Amino acid sequence: MDIFLERLFDGLTNGAVYAIMALALVVVFRSTGTINFAQGEMALFTTYIAWWLTTIGVPLWAGTVAAAGVGFLLGAVVERTLIRPVRRRSDMATLIVALGLFTAFNALAGLLWNSETKPMPSLFPSGLKDYLSVGGARLYIDALGVWLVVIALIGAVFLLFNRTRLGLHMRAVAGNPESAALSGVRTGRILMLGWGLAGIVGSLAGVLVTPLSPQQLSLQTMFPILIYASAAALFGGLDSPMGAVVGGLVIGVLEALITGYVEFIGGTLPQTAALVVIVLILLLRPTGLFGTRQMERL
Amino acid sequence: MTLLDQHDAVGAPPASRRLPIVIRGGSGAHRALQVALVVVVALVLFAGASAEPFRVGQLTSVLIFAIAISGLNLATGYTGLLSIGHSAFFGLGAYTTGVLVVSYGAAPMSTIPVAVLLCFVLGFVVGLPALRIRGLYLAMVTLAVGVAFPEVVKRFEDATGGAAGLVIRSRHLAPPAWTGLTVGQRGLWLYWVSAVALLLVLLLIRNLTRSRAGIAMIATRDNEIAAAASGVRLATMKTGVFGLSGAVTGLAGSLFAMYVGALSPDGSFTLLKSIELITGLFVGGAATLLGPVIGALAVVYLPYFTSDLAAGHVSGVLFGVILIVIVFLMPEGVAGVAGRAVRRLVQISPATGDGPSASRAERATPPTRESEGDPR
Repeated sequence: MDIFLERLFDGLTNGAVYAIMALALVVVFRSTGTINFAQGEMALFTTYIAWWLTTIGVPLWAGTVAAAGVGFLLGAVVERTLIRPVRRRSDMATLIVALGLFTAFNALAGLLWNSETKPMPSLFPSGLKDYLSVGGARLYIDALGVWLVVIALIGAVFLLFNRTRLGLHMRAVAGNPESAALSGVRTGRILMLGWGLAGIVGSLAGVLVTPLSPQQLSLQTMFPILIYASAAALFGGLDSPMGAVVGGLVIGVLEALITGYVEFIGGTLPQTAALVVIVLILLLRPTGLFGTRQMERL
Repeated sequence: MTLLDQHDAVGAPPASRRLPIVIRGGSGAHRALQVALVVVVALVLFAGASAEPFRVGQLTSVLIFAIAISGLNLATGYTGLLSIGHSAFFGLGAYTTGVLVVSYGAAPMSTIPVAVLLCFVLGFVVGLPALRIRGLYLAMVTLAVGVAFPEVVKRFEDATGGAAGLVIRSRHLAPPAWTGLTVGQRGLWLYWVSAVALLLVLLLIRNLTRSRAGIAMIATRDNEIAAAASGVRLATMKTGVFGLSGAVTGLAGSLFAMYVGALSPDGSFTLLKSIELITGLFVGGAATLLGPVIGALAVVYLPYFTSDLAAGHVSGVLFGVILIVIVFLMPEGVAGVAGRAVRRLVQISPATGDGPSASRAERATPPTRESEGDPR
């Protein structure tokens, strides 16, 4: 029982991180209609900034705030200068720009801070003894911290979308950009803010996950997380923030339990197993669990 | 261009010095042009073969990548089915050859058909979800395949050597006796095998895209519903294209196994390889015949020329920036722009048609048109 609980906790913690990244992807998808493949690498870049600030004596919380700020700027600038001019042309063009950004940001981080693995401090107490005992299982404080941040973020995004004027505008632009523009919403500014917001969310995910990741902070840290996050976003439905969170948690838990209990798969096929389950679900519901069905215009 | 076309179509006989020069298909001039083209290609290949061994090896990898990207071009360029999982086909082809040679002592060349067939089957299976799933969700399915491949290789350690890799001894890769080449010249042998394979693939794709099936592919990309309404069988089309696309990339993988001689799941068969192939396709020019060749040159030589600077990171930044610049400045890729420039100078009109407008209709439509249903 306690082993089961520990695996569940592990899964939920990883799942929470996938959920934050997936949330960033969904925010971008709702505004721009594409998956930002560069989201993970942009987050990696800002995480490096946070790490670099700690090495010159800035406290980590301040570094995190700075990373989030840079994330916002990066997102907004990228949207305005690189994405907006091409997105009208085709989905494929947007995707290629994102792939370009992916390569460029990863290499830029390597260029500025070399490719050695860096130990990243955690925002929460992360010693081996910092745990609560729940039903005989260990629940580490830093995992709990990640959960709390995720809950707070989801709450904030929910409030933003449903209770503020800005959120209303964002939903309007996502639903129908032309009508939104005609009703006086400044579509361009909203898109920029959407990407900036995703940048903040992504940066937070980066700072939270690197201390927990087996790779610590290296150039490969964010790529697997991005894969899981896009799987989570697709699983839940690309245009549903709720779906992203559910998708992230489901994938995290599936991964942990499958690895733990299915002998044949063991420690070697976790990603494959999780992805196969998702493909099967997509076959039943082609737009994810919570996604809106697409209407075809003839 | 359109002005010129209209002018020609009205029937004014093209004055001798005005561009474009229109050459009638099947005429003497056209034949001469074709022969000249064959000669140029042969000369380039021979020049490549006579370079020093290191250069020959590099050119071989260009040829192999050109085949792999051509395979991707079939699905992504011509049919608009974005695949982020082509590294899996590349890997399956490579491992089929590797395992057959190492464990069963098969002759390397005899493993190629097996690899191609297996990759066709895998492509067909990957294409099946495409019947129900579209756009980015479909890309997700291919992503799953791409992520799964290295893990599956590691799981079936007995056959594949797992994470440690698989080494094909160079004596297994010796050129056949009739070529008169020694084991030491196996690089040269592989160069010619790859060159012939690439030429065959290009010929196949050229003929395919000009056939009924090819037009159906392009129609599916540009407007799926309209294509279906015009009698294109989407199911057969998509699964078939995925199969063929996988088979061609698998062929490249098989050659790649002979080229490197040592396979490891995390080396060349991860998603990053897929991204490299996609990059090559779009830099070279999607939905163009020669785009993949130009793309392969870029993929092989760009990192090579910039790798002296700061352990490859400069090349990464440059690669990303070039990719973005390409999307902005020449969305049709290098081959698309070059092709347009050439058509401005010389046009080939079909034997029965009467003017450049007819030849235009036959050509592929601009490459990056995507008409997936707008999700909003």
